[in-house]
Amino acid sequence: MKLLRIWIYSTLLALVANSATAQQLPSDLIFRSGADHPAEGPFTPEEAARFLQQATFGPKLADIELLTRIGYNAWFDQQFAATRSEHLPFIDGLLNAGQTDVFQGERIESWWRNVLGGNDQLRQRMAFSLSQIFVVSDQNGAIEGVPTTLAHYYDLLSRNAFGSYRTLLGEATLHPSMGRYLSMHKNRKPDAALNIQPDQNYAREIMQLFSVGLVRLNIDGSRMLAGGQPIPAYNTDTIRGFAHVFTGWNYSTCVNPTGPNQTWHWDYCGTRAQADPETQDYRLHRGWREPMKPFGEGSAYADIYHSSVEGPLVSPAGAKQLLNYPSVSLANGILPSGGTARNNMNAALDNVANHPNVAPFMARLLIQRFVTSSPSPAYIGRVATIFNNNGSGVRGDLRAVVKAILMDSEARQPTAVNRGKLREPLLRLSQLYRAFDAASRVPGRIREYTDYWMAQAPMSSPTVFNFYLPSYQLPGEIATLGLFSPEFQITTDTYITRIVNEMGGKVFWQFQGNTNLPPVDQWNPTLININRDLSVANNAEVLVSRYNLLIMGGSMSTAMSNLLVAHVREMPNNNDDDRRRRLQDVLWLIMNSPQYVVEK
Amino acid sequence: MSYLKRRELLQRSLMAAAGSTAFGLLPAKLALAQSSLTGGTLLRGSTNYKALVCIYLYGGNDSVNMVIQRDTAGYAAYKERRKGNDGVGDPSNLAVPLANLLPLNPTQGPVNGGQYGLHPAMTGVKAMFDAGRCAIVANVGTLVRPITKAMFEMPGTLLPPELFSHSDQSVLWQTPASDVSSRTGWGGRLADIYRADNPNQVLSMNVSLAGDNVFQSGVQVAPYFMNSYGVEQIDSIQTSQANCMPATDWNARRCRTFKALQNLGASASPGHAFERAYVEKTQRSISTAVQVAAAIILHPANDVKFRPFWDAFGLAWTPNSTNLPELPDLAKQLLMVSRVIASRVALDMRRQMFFAGIGGFDTHDNQNADHPGLLRDLSQSVSAFYQVLNTLDAAESVTSFTASDFSRTISNNGDGTDHGWGSHQLVFGARVNGNRIFGKMPSLAPRASNPDEVGYGQIVPTLSTDQYAHTIAKWYGYTQTTVDPIFYNLQYMDSTGGILSIPGPDLGFMQPA
Repeated sequence: MKLLRIWIYSTLLALVANSATAQQLPSDLIFRSGADHPAEGPFTPEEAARFLQQATFGPKLADIELLTRIGYNAWFDQQFAATRSEHLPFIDGLLNAGQTDVFQGERIESWWRNVLGGNDQLRQRMAFSLSQIFVVSDQNGAIEGVPTTLAHYYDLLSRNAFGSYRTLLGEATLHPSMGRYLSMHKNRKPDAALNIQPDQNYAREIMQLFSVGLVRLNIDGSRMLAGGQPIPAYNTDTIRGFAHVFTGWNYSTCVNPTGPNQTWHWDYCGTRAQADPETQDYRLHRGWREPMKPFGEGSAYADIYHSSVEGPLVSPAGAKQLLNYPSVSLANGILPSGGTARNNMNAALDNVANHPNVAPFMARLLIQRFVTSSPSPAYIGRVATIFNNNGSGVRGDLRAVVKAILMDSEARQPTAVNRGKLREPLLRLSQLYRAFDAASRVPGRIREYTDYWMAQAPMSSPTVFNFYLPSYQLPGEIATLGLFSPEFQITTDTYITRIVNEMGGKVFWQFQGNTNLPPVDQWNPTLININRDLSVANNAEVLVSRYNLLIMGGSMSTAMSNLLVAHVREMPNNNDDDRRRRLQDVLWLIMNSPQYVVEK
Repeated sequence: MSYLKRRELLQRSLMAAAGSTAFGLLPAKLALAQSSLTGGTLLRGSTNYKALVCIYLYGGNDSVNMVIQRDTAGYAAYKERRKGNDGVGDPSNLAVPLANLLPLNPTQGPVNGGQYGLHPAMTGVKAMFDAGRCAIVANVGTLVRPITKAMFEMPGTLLPPELFSHSDQSVLWQTPASDVSSRTGWGGRLADIYRADNPNQVLSMNVSLAGDNVFQSGVQVAPYFMNSYGVEQIDSIQTSQANCMPATDWNARRCRTFKALQNLGASASPGHAFERAYVEKTQRSISTAVQVAAAIILHPANDVKFRPFWDAFGLAWTPNSTNLPELPDLAKQLLMVSRVIASRVALDMRRQMFFAGIGGFDTHDNQNADHPGLLRDLSQSVSAFYQVLNTLDAAESVTSFTASDFSRTISNNGDGTDHGWGSHQLVFGARVNGNRIFGKMPSLAPRASNPDEVGYGQIVPTLSTDQYAHTIAKWYGYTQTTVDPIFYNLQYMDSTGGILSIPGPDLGFMQPA
């Protein structure tokens, strides 16, 4: 086995330099005997590379070799067990080292460090997908200056990436950044004298975006109909009910009230615990990184701002209407009057998480992030079934869900004509960086301005509705065919040009060994290693074939390959500079081609 | 150059960009634009043209120091709130001396009376105001419902989210309602409607000189970004060169292969709907850049008709565009807006919205050093812009307005001011009911006795941003319906409680559409 590995790897690196034609797959040579591969696949390096585009932030040559050798099942096991990359330790490290200018740029730097260097690629990719569903964004005044709380939130997503949906929903709900972002923090019970009604913001979004969606769904994600019309999943009573449940929560660091009418005041509910030194940097405050707590919990005046008996229902008086659905635990979906903030929260989260919509709703959103914008109903149904029961009777097992998504026949052997998705801008850049072992020449510094160049930066969407809507249909053929195309929503005239130019900057300028670079550049320090491939640039076919595998997972058409080979052949080949230019042209042309940009 | 010659040139460049050979697939919308270029009803007078220009002042403009009460009692209150730690005369004193104010004598003042003056740096605005081409709208801000100070202090009152926060308030200022941060702005929502009026369906109706913004983003419409020097083009290939010629060019080969790969995506059978869409969008992006570049080059920055921009800043003008960088940023942006407006017939645009913006208004400190220059840039840039528009016969067709995150605290923090709420804004154009001040000026009385002040020097608005926006939208042609789908909170901006200084959907500062 060891010998085989070495053979495959060296073959990949050389990429059939002596015998290839553009149409011949490297795998034809590697697996000449046809039998020596994992039973479940992948059966070719191309299949491995294509899989890794879906499951990671882009394959490296060694990743392709590894997966081809050990097979999908062992790869998943390795990924599930891989050490988790985190964000908060990096941010805290900067702060604790005395650096004061630590803001969202440093958080984004941490994202790039983990995406480029982390071995837990599947976990990070899942966390990134979840960050586009359970959205918290730095485009918000309450949290924009606190990179630590967003770093901590992202770590929460990666920690739960292979865990339980219900746990994830609960932790996200109680995270202080979410509390501030969707204003459940300091939401308080009704008070007629003060004209106060509970804030409905989180009540709406947890249902519309994080769990069930607007209308009742069948297991395959299709809309349930009654009299030909969609059935609303909830109504204003439900929203009011949840809004009342979501009252009484504040930072974990709040001082307990000392009377029944304690003023809910900032002085008592800052993010800094009373025991902490007053000089502590606000970004290190515990209140930004501990789950919110019911105000006064455990004291003589617990839950004084929680709507315990003040529910909006008239009958039964003081109760709260939650989601009502077949098999709902609470009779008619009604949470009785009374109870603590924490118990009512748990009952409400159970009520949401057990709704039959959750499985198809989450299945569709996650499939869109990993595989295809318009999954078939059958595909959604298969993943939703795993969501409902992972095979061992466990509901909402995200580890089983992500494996089901990636190992589904529609992901591995797709047949639909318009399958796949437009690649997210961030994933285009991460793929380039990983494929070419990008490294910063200023140690510890990665600076990317993808919000400017690409209309996308991690946890920086303009609103809670993410960078694009899952149901966006580009007007024209895509809409006419009934296809969905979320990523096209940010593909505007200007950003098409900017992305092409940004990729051009990386390929033609930000490369290791570029003697024209300024000696120290804090702002664009990350360089790709293209010198690695100079030797293969002698041969046009080999060069194109290598990048077909590495960048396009072997999906390049013969016509495209022929165009690129002809292009390279016209270019000089007298020295390493010539060869570098050949390589850069091919790389830039591929990464801005329609065949590449649409991942299939 | 005659009108027809310009059109021919534009048409040639369009054909070149669309490429009868290199670009085999002609996007339907581009074909439409071409047919309109070659059609019979080409000439449209400038009276058919309407444009809005949003001038965004990033950071929160201190409008307390922009429009200043100059009657005895009013100025005394102002001076007291703006004085420095050691009284008038020390560097931390933010009060503009009374003698320096540019006095205004409007035909109609604010509802609560008083006499006012402009900051001395704003001579251009003063001249426009006096000439009836500028109106002041007093104390506008984000509001979900009309509220008083007492209501603000009462828990449970509906307030805009994250008051006093730059990122949130700047978004809310650009959206048609102030309760939920949205990805669509009121300019974008209007453009979703009015873009159909443009024979040219290639260039976006909304052009930004200051990058991405919410104001111009609609459900369908996305802003097209330019900069003060021209269009953004793909810089790794010379896409402006028709069909990747000349062949001797250093990147002609790369350009040809790039386009060949595009054609491949468009023509492959059965192909992929996403690839075809991506190709169409890429070609459209390239075509737009080519088209705009070809149009504005006929109105170069060094054309003498743009000389007012130099004159406004006392800079020597020469027929040499290399001195363009001398101009302040906003002047450069509005100069480019002028060039696009000058090209409106060639571009076949009848409805446009522009977005210009400058930063630096977040004057927490060093306000005396920084703020006057910003006001001067605003004032002189806009007055030059309208002199140019006069030359272009477009002053009647173009309304400009300011917007900013918020005004600043009426109090002084030592050498600057902090984030406020209600603010005064300026509206410019020949169709403005100028030489008037609309709304109500807030009290600058000491905090303890100030009926308008909440928190720490912030002023509760007495007009809402959606009233302000809708008044401009109405001039643009937008007709409000009973339950307005765009300005949906406008229905609450009524006379209830006598809170708003002017109730209703039309503040009156614009003449009829």
